[in-house]
Amino acid sequence: MAKKTIITVATTGAWPKKENNPNVPMTPAEISEDVYACWKAGAAVAHLHMRDDEGNGTMNKDKFAETVSLLRKNHPDCDVILNLTTSGDLYATDETRQIHLKEIKPEMGSYDCGSMNWMHSALFINSPAFLEELGKNMQEWGVKPEIEAFDPGMIANAAYYLKKGVLKAPLHFQFCMGCANGIPGSMKNLIFMKETMESLCPGSTWSCFGVGHSAMEMLYGAVALGGHIRVGMEDNVMYSKGKLADSNVKFVDRAARVIREYGNEVATPAEAREILGLNK
Amino acid sequence: MSWGNCYFYYRCPSCGKRFKYATDMISVFGDDFGRCPDCHEPCTPEREGAIIPEDALYPEVED
Repeated sequence: MAKKTIITVATTGAWPKKENNPNVPMTPAEISEDVYACWKAGAAVAHLHMRDDEGNGTMNKDKFAETVSLLRKNHPDCDVILNLTTSGDLYATDETRQIHLKEIKPEMGSYDCGSMNWMHSALFINSPAFLEELGKNMQEWGVKPEIEAFDPGMIANAAYYLKKGVLKAPLHFQFCMGCANGIPGSMKNLIFMKETMESLCPGSTWSCFGVGHSAMEMLYGAVALGGHIRVGMEDNVMYSKGKLADSNVKFVDRAARVIREYGNEVATPAEAREILGLNK
Repeated sequence: MSWGNCYFYYRCPSCGKRFKYATDMISVFGDDFGRCPDCHEPCTPEREGAIIPEDALYPEVED
């Protein structure tokens, strides 16, 4: 039986704007329609960020609620797994980073398992107190954390929280490769991330994406190494060298082609729920 | 949460050429990272960022 590979689409992110790529969906209406189109193309999971009216990243819970509401109202056939960010604004409070999870109760939410210097210019803070609170709350609210690991230390941190009971097995990791100040995106490093995860948190599932030059290497690498993949304009506004992406659907289409050419099958949302243990 | 790769933007003090290097290519270029692609002068970045508004003025140095 062919292996099922999950495609996650990260449509928007907190940073790229229309001036970087006019096709980045920004408003709740744009994002909800984009998610629907990507779901039809094969995305089983949608990782969502919101923007304020000026286009800046925001954790405004009303924006999340409006987007989810539009998707459900206009496209009741869409069974995509929603994965809402908890890191959409570097200046959000610990409370505003998670209140939307409590109110909307998506199936998944991001969990950035450590702090880092963001783009060499700002602090991306995920304090021990915040991570402990968020982990416990996500368990209580029935939201599965997607452990975003920007370097191997964040995997070790996840193992610590697993043993402490803040996180519950099986974990699901998103290896964030090639981000400025994170682990560079290369096959050697992806294998190291995978092996670190397997030794510290056995039984976990994983996905990855590559920013910038490593995007394609990480896409092929994820499929070859048995992982899942994330694509979308949160991570790359360029589709290929010198070519802006027309849409997020194009990224999903390409990922689906790679998966099928390799001999795997694109996981449906129902299959993704089974793989990720969301039905339990 | 992610967003693009980070670039160093340069103007060569010798020939005036503008160019940029992506910091995720440091391991690829090694000691050549930051050198002017025309006159090979080692340069100091004048700006940095994901994509600055004048990005198009700075062609990327490819490996």
